Amino acid sequence: MAGYRPSYLTVFLTFARNSLVRDMSFRTNFILQCISTISWTVMNIGFYLIVFQYTDSIGKETGWGRNEFFVFLATTWIINSLVQTFFMPNAQQFSELIRSGNLDFALLKPIDTQFVISFPRVDWAALSNLFMGITLLCYSMYQLTTRESDPLVLDWRVLLMYPFYIVCGTIIMYSVMITLASTSVWLGRNQTLYNFWFYITNFSRYPMEIYKVGWGMALWVFFTFIIPVLLVVNIPARIMARPLSTMNSQMWQLAGFAILATLACLVLSRRVFVRALKSYRSASS
Amino acid sequence: MPMALIELHNLQKTYRVYHKKEGLRASIKGLFKRTYKEVQAVKGIDLQVEQGEFVAFLGPNGAGKTTTLKLLSGVIHPTSGTATVMGHTPWHRENDYRRRFALVMGQKNQLWWDLPAQESFRLHQQIYGIEPEAFQQTHDELTDLLGLRDLLSQPVRELSLGERMKMELTAALLHNPEVLFLDEPTIGLDVVAQHNIQQFLKYYQEKRKITILLTSHYMKDVAALCKRVVIIANGQIQYDGSLSGIIDETTNRKLVTLQFADPISDSLLSSLQRFGTLVHLEEPRVTLGVTRDDVPAMLTSILDAHDIDDLIVEEPPLEEVIAEVFARVAETSSTQRDEDGVA
Amino acid sequence: MATTATHQPCVRSRMKTWWTILKISLEERFVYRGDFALGTLMRFLPIITQVFLWYAIFAASGKSKIEAYTANGVVAYYMLTMISRAFSSMPGLCNGIALQVRDGEIKKYLIQPIDLLGFLLITRVAHKLCYYAIALIPFAFVFFLCRGFFENGWPDPPILLAYSLSLILGFLLGFFIEACLGLVSFWFLEVTSLVFVYNLLNFFLSGHMFPLDLLPEWAAQFVYLLPFQFLAYFPAAVFLGTIEAGDVWRGLAVETCWLVFFILLARIMLNRGIQRYSGFGG
Ligand SMILES: Nc1ncnc2c1ncn2[C@@H]1O[C@H](COP(=O)(O)OP(=O)(O)O)[C@@H](O)[C@H]1O
Ligand SMILES: [Mg+2]
Repeated sequence: MAGYRPSYLTVFLTFARNSLVRDMSFRTNFILQCISTISWTVMNIGFYLIVFQYTDSIGKETGWGRNEFFVFLATTWIINSLVQTFFMPNAQQFSELIRSGNLDFALLKPIDTQFVISFPRVDWAALSNLFMGITLLCYSMYQLTTRESDPLVLDWRVLLMYPFYIVCGTIIMYSVMITLASTSVWLGRNQTLYNFWFYITNFSRYPMEIYKVGWGMALWVFFTFIIPVLLVVNIPARIMARPLSTMNSQMWQLAGFAILATLACLVLSRRVFVRALKSYRSASS
Repeated sequence: MPMALIELHNLQKTYRVYHKKEGLRASIKGLFKRTYKEVQAVKGIDLQVEQGEFVAFLGPNGAGKTTTLKLLSGVIHPTSGTATVMGHTPWHRENDYRRRFALVMGQKNQLWWDLPAQESFRLHQQIYGIEPEAFQQTHDELTDLLGLRDLLSQPVRELSLGERMKMELTAALLHNPEVLFLDEPTIGLDVVAQHNIQQFLKYYQEKRKITILLTSHYMKDVAALCKRVVIIANGQIQYDGSLSGIIDETTNRKLVTLQFADPISDSLLSSLQRFGTLVHLEEPRVTLGVTRDDVPAMLTSILDAHDIDDLIVEEPPLEEVIAEVFARVAETSSTQRDEDGVA
Repeated sequence: MATTATHQPCVRSRMKTWWTILKISLEERFVYRGDFALGTLMRFLPIITQVFLWYAIFAASGKSKIEAYTANGVVAYYMLTMISRAFSSMPGLCNGIALQVRDGEIKKYLIQPIDLLGFLLITRVAHKLCYYAIALIPFAFVFFLCRGFFENGWPDPPILLAYSLSLILGFLLGFFIEACLGLVSFWFLEVTSLVFVYNLLNFFLSGHMFPLDLLPEWAAQFVYLLPFQFLAYFPAAVFLGTIEAGDVWRGLAVETCWLVFFILLARIMLNRGIQRYSGFGG
C-alpha cells in the first residue's frame, strides 16, 4: 500500500462513466440540451451568412473570407465544446463547493486536489458542439481545397499543428476558467463566474486582425500577452484556413509564443489554485 | 518522549469575517467600505490522544469543535500552533496522511447525489487505490453491519437521512482509516438510526482498535461510546478526562429528593432551604440540591424532625452537569471579555 | 365589499412579505459586492467586440451604410437592445410559476382572493424598479462614454414618447409571454428546457443578435409577423429612427394587439389550468 499512486486515467474514466450514467438518468434533459446546443450553432451560422451577404471578408485584406472564417468558427466551437464538456461544469461546481463548504471532501482525497476538482463531471451533451464543429470544419475545408481559383493545399505539418494548438487553446481556456473559479474563495459567492468567463472569452471569438485598429491595439496586446485568449482560436484557425506560406514572421512568433503562454497559464493557474486552497475557510453549512 | 498518535500544541484558528450590518443603507455602505470582525474559533488547544482511544468533544454551539476537526483533517490552515497526526502535519495534505484517516460530517455529504452509492464507493476504491479483494471484503462487511445491502443501487438522493449517513460512514471507512474524525454523525437522525450508528461505531472501534474523535450533541452518543471526554468552549479546552470525572469536578452537589408524609408547610420549605437550593417542588415531594459534604448532616436532622415516606440521593443528570459547565464557561468568558475591555 | 375588507390585511401582509423578500435579495446583492460591481460593468464588454467586428465588416465591404445602419449605427443599435432587454427579459418568472405549480403552492391563489398574474406582475415591477435604480449609474456612464455612436442624437419628443411606450409595452409583452410559458407547467411539468429553447429563439428572433433589417427579405417578412421583435428590435429601431414615424405608431398598435392576445391567453390558461388542477383534487 505504501507509496501507492492512484491511476489518474482510471479515476478519470470512472468520472466520465459516472457522469454518463447520471446524464442518462435525465434523458429528456440531455436531448433538449443537445438540441439547444445545435440550434445555437445553426443560429451562429445564420448570422454570419447574413454578414457575408454584405461583405466578402471580415476586415479589409485580412484573408478571412467566408470559408476561411467558417474554419475559424468551427475551431471556436471545437475548443468551446471541449471546454464545456470537460471543464465548465467542474469550474461551476468548484465555485459552488467553495461556497457551500463541500470542498472539504476533495481536500481529503489522497490524489491531486486540482485533478479531483477539474474532472469529476463530464457534460456529455456539450459534445454535440464538437460534432457540429468538426462537420463545419470538414465542409469549409472541402470548399477551400476544391475551389476554382487558388485552391488550398493541405500540408501534413498543418494536420499535426492544428490538433496540437487546439489542445494548447483548450489548456489556456481551462487555466483562465480555473483561475476565475478560484477567486470565489475571496469574493464569497461568484454567481457571475459564467458571465465573466463569457465576456472574457468573447474576445477570442473573432479574428485578431479586427482589433488591430486604433485603440484596439491595446486590447490586442492585453488579450494576446496578458490574458492570452486571443491566441486560443486564432493560431490553430490561422494555420488551418490559410496556406502556411502566407504566415508572416509575426504570426510564427505568435505561434511560438502560444506554446509558452500555454505553459505559463497552466503554471500560473496552478499557483492561484493552491493559494485559493490556503485561504479556503470551509463554510459550515 | 514518545509522541502520542495525535498531538496538538497551542493550536489557534482565527477567521476574519465580513461584518454585515442590518438594513439596506448599511449594505450599500458596505459596498465601499467593509468592516471585518475577527472570530477566534480556536484559541490555543493542547491535546494528546493515544492510539485506540475514542474521544468525545463536547461543547456548546460555536465552541470550535468542528474547526478543530477541520484543522486535524487539513481542510483549513491554522493561524498558529502545531499539530501532528500519525507523524504528519495535517495541513500539508500529504497523500500518505490522507490515505490513513477519514472525516465524516453529519452536515455535509460527499457521495454523488444523483448516483447510487455503489458508484461513489467504486470511485473511492480507485482514488484510494484499494486492492479489489480488500475492497470487496471491507465493503461487504460494512454494508452488512449497517444493513445497507438492498440500498446500494438506489440514487443517493432517494435515501433517508439515516441511510445516507450510513452510506457516508461506509464510504469513509472503505480504505480502513486508522484515525476517524466524526463531526456530529447522528445529527437529525431518529432514535433508532442514532442507536444503530452508535452500536456500529462501538463494534467497529473495538474490533479494529482505530482512534476516533467524535463531536456530538447527544449525550447518549457520548455516554455509550467514549471513556474520555474533552469539553471545549470558547475555543479552549475546559475539561479533559473521564465522563464520571466531569460530574465530580464540576459539581459537588447531590440531588436529594424527600417525600413527606405530611403536607409541606411554608415554614418547612424555608427551613429546608437552609440545607440547599430548591430544585423542584411537587407535593409531597421536594428535590433539593445539596453540597455533597452536607448531605449526612442534612439527612440526620430532617429524619429526626419529620416523617419521611421515601428518600432518594442521586447524582445530577449528565445533561444538566454539562449544561452547568457550559453556563459557567460562558460566565467566566464574559467577565474575561469585560476585563479585556477595561484593559 | 365586505369580503374585500376582510381580506385586505391578508393582501397587505403578503405584499409586506414580498417587500421584505425583495429587500433581502437586494441586500444579498450588495453583500457580494465583488460580484455585483463586476457583473454590471461586464455586461457592456460584448459591445466592445461588436464595435470591432462591425467596423471590420464595414471596412471590408467598402460601404458606408448596410441597410439603414452606419457602423456607428449598428453599435448604437446593440446598446439600445440592452435597454430593451432590461425591460423585456423576465429572469426566473417562468421557472418560478412552474415551481409553484409543482409544489402545489398555487393552491393558495384558489383560496385567497389574490390574482396570481396580477400579483406576479406587481412583484416583477417592483423587482425591475430596484434593478433600474441600481443599474442606472453604470448604464448612464457607459452611454455617456459611447454617445458618439448615436449620430442622430436624441430623437424628437413624439418619437421619444413612442420609444418609452414601446419599452413599457415590451415589458408587459415579455411578462405575459413568459407567464404563458410558465403556465404550460399545468400540463407539462418540465418547462425548464422549454424556457431554454424559448430564450434561444428569442435571442435570434428578437433582434438581440443583430438588427432584423439585415435579414433577407423572405425571412424578415416572417420574423416581423412574430411578437419577438418587440422585445428588443422594435424599441431600438424606434429610437434610432430607422422605422418611419407612421410605421412606429402602427407597430405600437400591433404590439398592443399581441399584448392583448397574450393577456387573454394567460387568463384562459390560468383558468383552465386551475380547473384541471382542482379537478384532480390537487
Ligand atoms: N468558515 C467560517 N468562516 C467564519 N467563521 C467561522 C467559520 N467556521 C466557523 N466559524 C466560527 O468559528 C466558531 C466556531 O465554529 P465551529 O468550530 O463550527 O463550532 P462548533 O462545531 O463547536 O459548533 C463559530 O463562532 C463560528 O461562527
Ligand atoms: Mg460543529
